Amino acid sequence: MAIRTTTPGNEKADRPEVRPDVRLETAPMVPVSCESCGITVEARKSSWEQTSIQWHGDLDGCLERRAAPPPTIAGTAFRGCTALRNTLSHAVDRGALPVLTESE
Amino acid sequence: MTTVPDVPRRIETDPVAERYARGWHCLGLSDDYRDGSPHQVTAFGTKLVVWADADGEIHVLDAYCRHMGGDLTQGTVKDGNIACPFHDWRWGGDGRCKQIPYSRRVPLRARTSSWPTLDQDGMLFVWNDPEGNPPIEEQAIPRIPGATSDEWTDWHWYSIRIDGSNCREIVDNVVDMAHFFYVHYSMPTYFKNVFEGHVATQYMNGAERADVAIPSEDGAELLEIRSTASYFGPSFMIDDLVYEFDTGDFESILINCHYPIDTNSFVLQYGIIVKKPQGVSDEHAAASAKTMGDFIKTGFEQDVEIWQNKARIDNPLLCEEDGPVYQLRRWYQQFYTDVADVQAEMTDRFEFELDMTRPAEAWSREVADNVARRDEAAGAH
Ligand code: FES
Ligand SMILES: [Fe+2]
Repeated sequence: MAIRTTTPGNEKADRPEVRPDVRLETAPMVPVSCESCGITVEARKSSWEQTSIQWHGDLDGCLERRAAPPPTIAGTAFRGCTALRNTLSHAVDRGALPVLTESE
Repeated sequence: MTTVPDVPRRIETDPVAERYARGWHCLGLSDDYRDGSPHQVTAFGTKLVVWADADGEIHVLDAYCRHMGGDLTQGTVKDGNIACPFHDWRWGGDGRCKQIPYSRRVPLRARTSSWPTLDQDGMLFVWNDPEGNPPIEEQAIPRIPGATSDEWTDWHWYSIRIDGSNCREIVDNVVDMAHFFYVHYSMPTYFKNVFEGHVATQYMNGAERADVAIPSEDGAELLEIRSTASYFGPSFMIDDLVYEFDTGDFESILINCHYPIDTNSFVLQYGIIVKKPQGVSDEHAAASAKTMGDFIKTGFEQDVEIWQNKARIDNPLLCEEDGPVYQLRRWYQQFYTDVADVQAEMTDRFEFELDMTRPAEAWSREVADNVARRDEAAGAH
């Protein structure tokens, strides 16, 4: 991991350094607010089918999330929010969310 | 238009953290530790002694006796405590020296490091925390109903020691969509990751590969493979894996877990249980768990081959059809960070759904070519 020790032997001095995704250098995530709940996320689409979504903080504001069944043994049962998905499509239509393959 | 300087890209390697991840680590099947004798486990850069008392409760201590450094793994279990082979000091599972047979009293500070344990669903876990805090309740390992049910087989368990590699390599698999085709003989058709809190999930669907013999129920046609797999913490993954045949579903739970020996080696383990299909004998069901396990083993062995020869790389160059390697490592970093220093970005929910159009095109072509080549070779004989 990208831990740099400034004071050798002093674990408390370890500070994680998390590198950003190289793919964001040329095409960053852009903020989008959900039409349904108003939560702001950052999104990125390299194509129509590809989507990255960065949420922030607790997700209680998301209605679908609140209605989602509890996690199963294989992890979260909440794969994603359909209202947010629709919001992203509309953002693409408006030109507010670029689709990278479209700009080639 | 941006111009990119035409120079070779350099592989960057950050120093490997000299600490071990905070969280539950599975040490294998608990019954293997319940034979009444002490067991040695090298993990977290040290040596541990693991034993069970008369009630079958399993304890884990640092292996070196705080008296004169004797190796407790060479000792014996006496009255539920571990007795050192050097001068017979008795250490309890709580880490306290209970008795020194030749002394009137046990000195102050006669306490060694003990690891919190969890004995659940047939597996033994230890909680590692460089800060020495008790297990975090929200990070408890979920119960696996099939593991204790008669409708499912027993664990079929595998364990391999991997030298010359840091355990981050196996965790990277969570997002490495393309390697599932090249290394694990799968044909991914759908791929999505979700990271949230201490859980990292991979949703993957796959199809049959005509060029690879995937174990099938005699003659049945494999329609789809559906896998939902999550790491609960830094090292323990539960994979809910369903093979959908035209004759019905074949359900299995695959465990993929590891513990670090030191920063440059780890023990990889995986275990499998399958739901006994209706009207099939227990032996037949156990045999299918083994067949499936052995198939998965081949894939892991190919992973190992890759890991042992690859470079550690902290600045991987990614194409758009790769998964979220950087975001996964950002998630993974939380386990190497003091609790007070964990950043929101390490635990905030992140979703990444891949576009499988190009991979599907390229790989169906490749599979068709492989089949044509195989048929041609068969025809020539
Ligand atoms: S070193 Fe263990 S009893 Fe003396
Ligand atoms: Fe792999």
